[in-house]
Amino acid sequence: MPTTPLSVRYEDDLRLFASVWRRIGIVLLAVGVVAFPFVVDGRWVMTANFALVAVVGAVGLMILTGFTGQISLGHAAFLAIGAYTAAVTGDTFGLPFWLSIPLGGALAALVGLAVGPFALRLRGLYLAIVTLGLVFIVNHLLRAFPEVTGGLSGIRVPMLWWFDGPRVGDATWELGPLTLASREQLYFLFVLITVGVVLFATNLRRSRTGRAMNAVRDRDVAAAVMGVNVARTKLEAFGISSFIAGMAGAMFGYVQTFITIDPPFNLIMSIEYIAMIVLGGVGTVVGAVLGGLAFVAIGPIAEHLLGGLPLLSELSSSQQQRLMFAVIVGAFLLLEPLGLYGVWIRIKIYFMAWPFRY
Amino acid sequence: MDTTARSGDDQGRAPLVTFEDVTLSFEGLVAIDDVSFEVYPGQLFAIIGPNGAGKTSTFNCISGVYHPSAGRITFEGRDLLGLPPHAITELGIARTFQNVELFPMLTTLDNLLVGRHVHYRSNWLRDGIWLGRARREEVAHRGRVEEIIDFLDLESFRDKPASFLPYGVQKRIELGRALVMDPKLLLLDEPAAGMNLEETEDVARYILDVKEELGITQILVEHDMGVVMDLADEVAVLDFGRKIAQGRPAEVQSHPEVIRAYLGASTDVGGDGGAAAGGDAARTGEAAIGDTTDRVTDGGAS
Repeated sequence: MPTTPLSVRYEDDLRLFASVWRRIGIVLLAVGVVAFPFVVDGRWVMTANFALVAVVGAVGLMILTGFTGQISLGHAAFLAIGAYTAAVTGDTFGLPFWLSIPLGGALAALVGLAVGPFALRLRGLYLAIVTLGLVFIVNHLLRAFPEVTGGLSGIRVPMLWWFDGPRVGDATWELGPLTLASREQLYFLFVLITVGVVLFATNLRRSRTGRAMNAVRDRDVAAAVMGVNVARTKLEAFGISSFIAGMAGAMFGYVQTFITIDPPFNLIMSIEYIAMIVLGGVGTVVGAVLGGLAFVAIGPIAEHLLGGLPLLSELSSSQQQRLMFAVIVGAFLLLEPLGLYGVWIRIKIYFMAWPFRY
Repeated sequence: MDTTARSGDDQGRAPLVTFEDVTLSFEGLVAIDDVSFEVYPGQLFAIIGPNGAGKTSTFNCISGVYHPSAGRITFEGRDLLGLPPHAITELGIARTFQNVELFPMLTTLDNLLVGRHVHYRSNWLRDGIWLGRARREEVAHRGRVEEIIDFLDLESFRDKPASFLPYGVQKRIELGRALVMDPKLLLLDEPAAGMNLEETEDVARYILDVKEELGITQILVEHDMGVVMDLADEVAVLDFGRKIAQGRPAEVQSHPEVIRAYLGASTDVGGDGGAAAGGDAARTGEAAIGDTTDRVTDGGAS
């Protein structure tokens, strides 16, 4: 392609948006993201908020499972910790969201670092089972202290701008002809967080830490002989991953405004996140983003498509969504193990080779 | 038994690596039995022996993958035993593997950059934020990696995932991954295994380049006797975990114990008085060992 400039310095080769096409793409994406809440129906803004939560959570799991190869079924536990931290700090102590979100992340990261050492001795399915246990332990602890967490009756998750101050969405913002109500405000805040998390993960992937994680995933003995501290790399992966998952949990709480323990923070949620990164493409940040977006988008689509069919229309909307998701993920595992990212690569190669077949 | 004869220019210098009475055993099996040797700076030291002689185990002991049950291994006077593999690498010991151990999902470039790992000073937080220092460091190390890519003629494979590349190229990338560490000691585990004559000659040229141009001390495990006899300054021969001979290539070739280990002896196995049998075998053995056209080709695991 003539539009890809010849790199003459290593700095140029390392840039994320080196080619003209990529720069055009990122500008279009930015315009689209900003314009989105003003052109679609309000229900879709809400869906987008859930999608952004899913993207952040999926990026978190991608760092642990996709980059470092540590299979974790405990992702829901980290989200639960983040969500309940946001709820308790907001509801009881009146902390603003910009403190609660990192606090939720930090608390989740602490638990992640406590579980991490298991990964030093266990691999694959054994690690999956240990992390699965974490979901039950966290759920049990949340239930065991109802005076703090609200127990089975749930808890409110207020999103405050300032200490004991007004809540996000209390005031509707008027920007000329545009109106930003509660969900639009949430949308733009979440977009900022998501962009930050995605950039962080992308940078990690192309630098020393990310390469060390990949090395541990591919061949851990060779990685150690290359000078990679395997134990430390695994712990870093657990820490970073659970921090991001905790942030996603807090965001999830803010969209829901009221949360209970189980559902949603159960094994199914953990599996959904694994399915998301498989659907998107394991090992890539783009895969986590695509997988998170696709997962949430499938819900309304499934309702629309399956609603008219006999038998299937009798299922609840969440059952329809799960069925559709299961079929799609299964198909991807069989047909395109690289996920949506692999599909994107195929499209790209097709157009790069056009008008030739290959 | 220990015929320590070393090239004259090493006299009076401190050894880079010492192996002192090292014994490694797995349950009942003794993989390395009381082996001692010294490697001097700048030397190309070869370890040969039949399959299962303990050659790769020797490497695994040096790089910290295995832990010997007795003895001492030092590098620049420092005791290596008890250090984890990554700490040993940080001291300046790099290695390649007998069966290619590249990171299959990473590109050639990323594989080589993993080799620079120990020279980075960044951490996960700086990497994730990617401002100033992390970026500058990445550029600097990329420069060094490109020099090695140039040295090993790997330019055209730079952006290809390692698992897609031919075996010979993978072997070369593995050598490159060890070289980008700027090691003081390089452990080469059968660099010519599975290669045809032309590829073997390429490898031999790279090994000599590493010695002459980069001045890196190397320990070479190899079954291709042509490569060993032509390149090595000194050769140690292992058999069933014991060192049976050491010396210059020519001396080792005619050593009766070595000939017995490679060709077998009809009488007196394990005794020291096999001089008559050894002398007999020596004449036939000299032709076999060290002759490229009639190689000792036992390329399996050791």
